[in-house]
Amino acid sequence: MGLLNQLKNQFKTLSIVGMAKNAGKTTALNYLIEEAMDEGLRLGITSTGRDGELIDLVTGTDKPKIFIEIDTLVSIPVKLYEMADAGLEILRMTEYSTPLGRILICRAAESGYVQIAGPLNVRDHKKLCQEMMGLGADMILIDGAVDRKSVAAPGVSDGVIIATGAVISRSLKKVVEETLHVVSLYGLPGIDDSAVYKAILENQYKDQIMLIKKDHQFQFLDLKTGLNASKFIDELIDEDVAFVYIPGALTLSVVADIHPGKFKHLKFIVKDPTKIFIEANPWQQMAKKGFCVQVMEQITVAAITVNPYAPAGYSFEHEALLGAMRVAIKEIPIIDVKFGGDFDEACQHKSEK
Amino acid sequence: MTDIAKIDLTKVKPYGDTMNDGMMQLSFTLPIPYSDEASEAAKVLARKMGLDEPAVVCSKDLGIGYTYFIMYGKCQHTVDFTTIKVNKIEVEIMDKYEVEKYIKENIQRDVVIVGACTGTDAHTVGIDAIMNMKGFHGHYGLERYKGIEAFNMGSQVPNEVLVAKAIEMNADAILVSQVVTQKDVHIPNMTQLVELLEAEGVRDKMVIVCGGPRISHELAQELGYDAGFGSDTYAEDVGTFIVTEMVKRKLV
Repeated sequence: MGLLNQLKNQFKTLSIVGMAKNAGKTTALNYLIEEAMDEGLRLGITSTGRDGELIDLVTGTDKPKIFIEIDTLVSIPVKLYEMADAGLEILRMTEYSTPLGRILICRAAESGYVQIAGPLNVRDHKKLCQEMMGLGADMILIDGAVDRKSVAAPGVSDGVIIATGAVISRSLKKVVEETLHVVSLYGLPGIDDSAVYKAILENQYKDQIMLIKKDHQFQFLDLKTGLNASKFIDELIDEDVAFVYIPGALTLSVVADIHPGKFKHLKFIVKDPTKIFIEANPWQQMAKKGFCVQVMEQITVAAITVNPYAPAGYSFEHEALLGAMRVAIKEIPIIDVKFGGDFDEACQHKSEK
Repeated sequence: MTDIAKIDLTKVKPYGDTMNDGMMQLSFTLPIPYSDEASEAAKVLARKMGLDEPAVVCSKDLGIGYTYFIMYGKCQHTVDFTTIKVNKIEVEIMDKYEVEKYIKENIQRDVVIVGACTGTDAHTVGIDAIMNMKGFHGHYGLERYKGIEAFNMGSQVPNEVLVAKAIEMNADAILVSQVVTQKDVHIPNMTQLVELLEAEGVRDKMVIVCGGPRISHELAQELGYDAGFGSDTYAEDVGTFIVTEMVKRKLV
């Protein structure tokens, strides 16, 4: 049974994000397109970058082409439209402009190869997905560019496929660790205090850092951004503060100068896991000191794809990478799309745990 | 003119002294001592590169066992010029005074531009040429433009610091320069900036532009930037793009 068949009932918009460039996003996308063909599912496909070009702009290596069936909807900027091999019927000229021209929403009148690209910012992407749904797509796939993960935000897609692979590191252990870090961030718990959740929800529009005390009193910080402001934030946190809500990015410069002694009675809250920019190592070190982050909205990881090949020329044994990944991450189906993963087998390790 | 009419644009070859002779000149150094064998090695290499009748017209001993060559050869390959497409920035470039006038008429306030050479890159030649008062090659930098408040943060600026500064200054545009890009380190560095701007909720409120010798407009699309400028770009190219994009996106 196919991966898509399992996912289509659960997700209307799926984003594919990569751990790095050349991790296998387009290969994963092609795998899903092929399955959609078999299932007779009408896909809408868009990309946060550009997809389907023959040669990688940076590394000069070959890239997978994208073949679409009749009736598939795609977003494509004017300049790439002229280069498409598939017969495309323009359904709508959108207002989103890109370096390659304005974005068109097209229907494939004939099957063939296309290059796909989408709007530059996440807000426009969200609107584009809604437009494609309105034009009759059963399911939307958003292909993320390079290592960009912001399209995984819950407001944009309802599920995410993480593409990972040998490109991250020559060390198998490191590939697994880095992937596990992202998966665990996406699985961070939601807020356990419903009153706090409600209070933040009501004041979210202010886009300001909020300190919430034990008695649910809250205080807005007069800061335009939390970046580089950890000293200032630290000064305002006394023992009565129980939650710190960060509306923007959670990076090391937001928390570095907050005294670790305060972590014990403190919980940090972010909108969703795409706001977190702390790498595996410092994250684990801080977690040991009691650093705790909760999210307003979680991200559902629908599947993980692995690619044992790196464009630099080295590769892992196909079974070794897949096996190590399945041992480390149990709750999520993991497939090697290059070897044509069997989905039942991918799910099996779930039930074995 | 008759000669030009004869050119078959689908099969263009280099021009030496007659049409389609394919003649090329190249120069390079081989790490082998100056000798007849070295010249022969250079010819073998040129033949492998697809050059017919390779000839070493000059060779010089560089000392330390290295030899420098200038070679001629006839290129066997042709290029189909009719299929070549380059994606360029589609705005008519205005000069400094036109940009100033455009700001005065269409934006009616100062445009704030923050720029930096980010990540590990310490090479500010690019960002300095575009932003600093004196500019480059007789083209004044953005700092000198009336109606533009340009702030050049210098080299090795972490993305977080750049984003914080841009938010604090209510910047209309961010310029990122990446000159030295060993092991493609510029790619994750540049996407991280875009992701930080998304997370801070300001990506759609700013014009984000990148520049550097390995940057193109096509790469900008892939990375999520509004525009990408390669070599031979001056302040007016960047300035024109920023002010027209601001008006187009109603960021005035």
